[in-house]
Amino acid sequence: MHHPTDCVCSSRSNDLLVTRRELLSRLGGGIASLALVDLLGQQGLIAAESGQTGLLSPKPQMIPAKAKAVISIFCYGGVSQVDTFDPKPDLLKYQGETMQGVGEVRATMGTPGGLMPSPWSFKKYGESGMDVSELFPNVAQHVDDIALIRSMYALSPAHGPALFQMNTGSILAGHPSVGSWITYGLGTENQNLPGFIVFTDHRGGPINGPPNWGNGYMPAAYQGMQIRDTGSPIVDLKPPAERTESEQRKWLRLLHELNEQHASKYPQDTELAARIHSYELAFRMQTSAPEAIDISKETAATKKLYGVGEQPTDYFGRQALMARRLVERGVRYVQIFSGGGNFEPSWDAHWDLKTNHGLHCAETDKPIAGLIKDLKSRGLFESTLLVWHGEFGRLPISERMDGRDHNNNGFSVWLAGGGVKGGTIVGATDQYGYRGVENKKTVYELHATILHLMGLDYEKLTYRFNGRDMQLTDVHGKLIREVLA
Amino acid sequence: MSCSDRFGARTGVALVILGMTTLAGSVRPAAAQDEEERARQVYQLFKDKCFECHGSDAKGDLDLRTHKSMMKGSQSGDVIVPHQPAKSLLYLLVTHAEEPPMPRKKPKLGDAELELIRKWIDDGGSLEAVEEAAESSAAPDARDKLKAEERPITDAERQQWAFQLPKKGVIPRVDSPAWQANPIDAFLMARMSAKGLKPSPKADRRTLIRRAYLDVLGLPPSPEQLDAFVKDSSPDAWPKLVDELLASSHYGERWARHWLDLVRYADSGGFEFDVDRPEGWRYRDYVVNAFNKDKPYSRFVLEQLAGDEIEGLDAAAKDEAMIATGFLRVGPNLGGGERGRQDALDDLIGTTSLTFMGMTVSCARCHNHKFDPIPQKDYYRIQAVFFSTRGVEHPLVPAHEVEADRKETARIDGLMRPLRQEKRELEAPYLKQLVDREISRLPEYLQVAYKTPPAQRTEGQKLNAAQVEKTLQNDTLRAKITEIDLVPLMTADERAKHKSLTDRIDALDKQKPKPYPTALAIADSGREARPSFFLHRGSIDAKGSAMTPGVLSVAAWTDYSFPTPPADAKSTYRRRAFAEWLIAPGNPLTARVMVNRIWQHHFGEGIVRTPSSFGKMGEPPSHPELLDWLAVEFVERGWSIKAMHRLMMTSEAYQMASDDTAANLALDPENRLFWRMPRQRLEGEIIRDQILAVAGTLDRTMGGPNVFPYIDPDLFEKSSKRDWPGKPDEDPTTWRRSLYVFSKRSIRYPFFETFDQPNLVNSVDRRNRSTVAPQALILMNNAAVVLQASKFAERLAREAGSDPAKQVTRAFLLALGRDPSAEELAKSVAFVRSSPRGLAEFAHVLFNVSEFVYRP
Repeated sequence: MHHPTDCVCSSRSNDLLVTRRELLSRLGGGIASLALVDLLGQQGLIAAESGQTGLLSPKPQMIPAKAKAVISIFCYGGVSQVDTFDPKPDLLKYQGETMQGVGEVRATMGTPGGLMPSPWSFKKYGESGMDVSELFPNVAQHVDDIALIRSMYALSPAHGPALFQMNTGSILAGHPSVGSWITYGLGTENQNLPGFIVFTDHRGGPINGPPNWGNGYMPAAYQGMQIRDTGSPIVDLKPPAERTESEQRKWLRLLHELNEQHASKYPQDTELAARIHSYELAFRMQTSAPEAIDISKETAATKKLYGVGEQPTDYFGRQALMARRLVERGVRYVQIFSGGGNFEPSWDAHWDLKTNHGLHCAETDKPIAGLIKDLKSRGLFESTLLVWHGEFGRLPISERMDGRDHNNNGFSVWLAGGGVKGGTIVGATDQYGYRGVENKKTVYELHATILHLMGLDYEKLTYRFNGRDMQLTDVHGKLIREVLA
Repeated sequence: MSCSDRFGARTGVALVILGMTTLAGSVRPAAAQDEEERARQVYQLFKDKCFECHGSDAKGDLDLRTHKSMMKGSQSGDVIVPHQPAKSLLYLLVTHAEEPPMPRKKPKLGDAELELIRKWIDDGGSLEAVEEAAESSAAPDARDKLKAEERPITDAERQQWAFQLPKKGVIPRVDSPAWQANPIDAFLMARMSAKGLKPSPKADRRTLIRRAYLDVLGLPPSPEQLDAFVKDSSPDAWPKLVDELLASSHYGERWARHWLDLVRYADSGGFEFDVDRPEGWRYRDYVVNAFNKDKPYSRFVLEQLAGDEIEGLDAAAKDEAMIATGFLRVGPNLGGGERGRQDALDDLIGTTSLTFMGMTVSCARCHNHKFDPIPQKDYYRIQAVFFSTRGVEHPLVPAHEVEADRKETARIDGLMRPLRQEKRELEAPYLKQLVDREISRLPEYLQVAYKTPPAQRTEGQKLNAAQVEKTLQNDTLRAKITEIDLVPLMTADERAKHKSLTDRIDALDKQKPKPYPTALAIADSGREARPSFFLHRGSIDAKGSAMTPGVLSVAAWTDYSFPTPPADAKSTYRRRAFAEWLIAPGNPLTARVMVNRIWQHHFGEGIVRTPSSFGKMGEPPSHPELLDWLAVEFVERGWSIKAMHRLMMTSEAYQMASDDTAANLALDPENRLFWRMPRQRLEGEIIRDQILAVAGTLDRTMGGPNVFPYIDPDLFEKSSKRDWPGKPDEDPTTWRRSLYVFSKRSIRYPFFETFDQPNLVNSVDRRNRSTVAPQALILMNNAAVVLQASKFAERLAREAGSDPAKQVTRAFLLALGRDPSAEELAKSVAFVRSSPRGLAEFAHVLFNVSEFVYRP
């Protein structure tokens, strides 16, 4: 069982107390050094401060790894593999015919049709010669940085359970998300920002809602925090409108004095000290969070890289750029959902695949490529793990005449950045792109690999709940060694 | 950890059992005879070299014992591609062309054997011939399988503390007379003395009353209540206060929440669409009333598990018992199909065993429990208890009203039917016109498919033609062609007729009777139980023996037999029998688990600090003799929960101060021997209740449908499928106790969520208590909190006049139950005076001070 070394003193992980001595030594002094008035005067230095309340304090990696942060791009609704990263000429050759030798084909939402050719053509790119369709011309320029897994399969062909599986390992609700496990295992580098941040699409969030980035049975500290793109980035971040800044300082000073007086009666109580400290963090977050996502000072060239200010890339481009800024500032895990709501607004192309994937790819292709370039030019690519996937793929046969139904039997996902071996292709689907046939990979294996790339041992990162030592990969999983550099 | 086999873990024992017999001597072509012979040899080879893993164990999902199971392939896909050895995974692995080499950890097969396999795959790779020849054979495997289902319990395992029946031991003699009277104190003191600990001194009266109010009611005492208690010098002032609190109906509201955490209560189904359960609150009210009425815990258990199987109840009691079975309905919705059904049963078994038995029976779904003596068979025998249940909507009106409703609905449906038919006929020609137009725009291969006469269509064309028809004419999702498209094409007369038909249908629809109230309840599908099976590795594809119902065998000292239900029963009576086992005198767990929970909430931690884990993965009791004594006492007092509250709260231990004592801290830093009362951060729900109570705005209405306080829409979806009809913060109807805030699984009320409310999906025995910055943000900045602070300020002005010193004093009394110190008073008064909005700002500070959010 893994205990974050500096936060647990008893044998149970929901005992969140630290010893007084530990806390104070981490805070760099006694209660006096915490005096809010001091900190208020030193806002400029806050990024360098290392104040923690324990749960989210940085923790050492269990195994050496290059990546320090994750940016997860989740194409909600399910990306069609045969139209993006897994070319299948047989779809044209046998258009309108049934698949042979694959057994009964189950459609989830529609009735099964015959094979439907891809509306897009493929080309080989880079030294690796990886095939990418016309839908991702910009991402295609970076194939030599990408490790593509073509033989991923998931347990469920329904959005709800499949989203849960991709995000939490289990098809059932109630489990901590990948971002929660990583912040639980590693804490976060910047205490003035949440450690796990989530962006949803402007058309709505994914099915299942916030449990997709939930902390499950872990403390609330490990849940993903949704960042808004307008107004105040975090709900309840800003003081009430009628309270001026100087009034807020006065307000906080009185609170601090009353709390200090109370805490002085219980000098051994670390919870009370942590609570005082949490107000200091909250205050600093008021400045640091808006600054972290403020892209106005980025250069025109950088914005252009992400397609900010152009359509249809502006929205996702801003999120991708904000993700880079957050990672740069020490945020551990950033997840961006592309696509929202139901059906057309998401990647869920049950009909009119051409318009659907045409739009969603156009929105994200340039920003993703821009993100890779930008991370590289800043020396962050090697310390950032990029993960791209949906909750499943799509069927090679038609649905509703010109769409594709859900397919969990074989689909493509890719990784890039810290510790990833670029230009790699892992596994293969059958002649139709229907199911993985070579070197099939489970979602557990993907999760084990993500944890490994972040320096966490997926078998040792456990959390005890209801009498069980829980793991992200449950009792399954092994590493996808082919993608490791 | 999972099996290291390349095929991964899980699933798959074939039901067909094969053995070897000689082939029948019929005359067949030589080639075919050769093929059969090869298949037979291959089968023998598999049996010798592969069955150990790929037989009944089906490692990596691969079971080579029958043709069918072999052709299902493994977790990695097909293992045999007929006629193509080079593409057959099985061949590639045995020839070591691919990883991992097979057979695992054994010498490579000989060249002759490999050649045999190659030829056999060349032939087609079939085992069917062997199977035909071997139909009726026998049983070493069947015996193995049965054996695999057994996991005997040893005597040593039965000796584990939790499975021993609790007995009242001798109450220790202690030096202090004050600590002798209540056995709780005697047990605690004896251990403290032995360890050199001194109990903390008695807390002052203000601390005591605040502690008791927050503990029992979840609300702070008013200044008047406080004053009365402080001034009451009678010797029974404290027990009187305890009785008063236990008589308050707010007690049930406070303690119901603890129970709702255990049963993962919520008002929506969770999962994809998180559909609301507008009648779910009835179960919540049942729990509140059960605590308030001090329903014996034994009865509480029985009603929740088997309320539908209790006979001889009058109508009101029947309704109550049916609502109680909501326990089995309040969990999250799970997926469909047999797998979803198994998951739903697992949720019931898991929650039931954690809640009532403090055992993690769910661990035995796929294998025998790894740490505790819980055989997998126990899991499936308990599953058999619940297997025949189904959800019902129990009408809370008399039967004749239900019947009248049904008749009226049927009558109106009958009137609507011809109108709908007429409407369809009116639309038909235009629909055809539009369909034809759409078809002419399709890709050529689809047009060809559609136009080809049905008899001549290829398989693919059949599918495509059907898809085109369905999509264009009968698709609710894509909604290609609807009335909106059709009506404009009609003549004026037709349009008028269409409208009139639509209006008449709508009018009829409005006449349908309003739905009568119902409760989410449980019933069995009938007197006969539906057959259920042992599932090897938890897989629905690996059914073992049929299961009879059972209980947790290690905790059953005598063989517990399930009675036969009466001849006219509509139910299997299995749940009732299971509940009766739980509350029978011979059950070692039920009373212990519950008294430990009561203790846990009073004293901050349980005597067993893992209240739902009494097994080896949990912690042993710190005071086993005390736990036993309490468990027996609980049963002797008729399972009265209130009697336990009284007993615990009137102990000296409950009344100790919470101060640090350096000497004690050095010896027992975690307070495992209960030498003080720990301070406890309050739950989010109770902090909010307290804010409303202190602001003087709390609406104390009890029970009924839930309320929806405001949540920032950015925190939930714009998706039409998910909504939170939040009312403005200013709406006083939302100022109800937090227990009545709608609990939607995918849209959690942020205030509660931030303060570690459980996720409404898992049974939770002990909440996390984390301290994080978002808690500070919400208390500092959330508009609802700020609004209540201004209400608090208005109250202060109303009750204390305009003198800031009096206002501050009153504020401390209301919020913290004490007077301010001189220093606090001076600083606070200066703050109030410093700006025109000073009082409201100060009121808001008090909602944020640590003392406010802790139980002392």
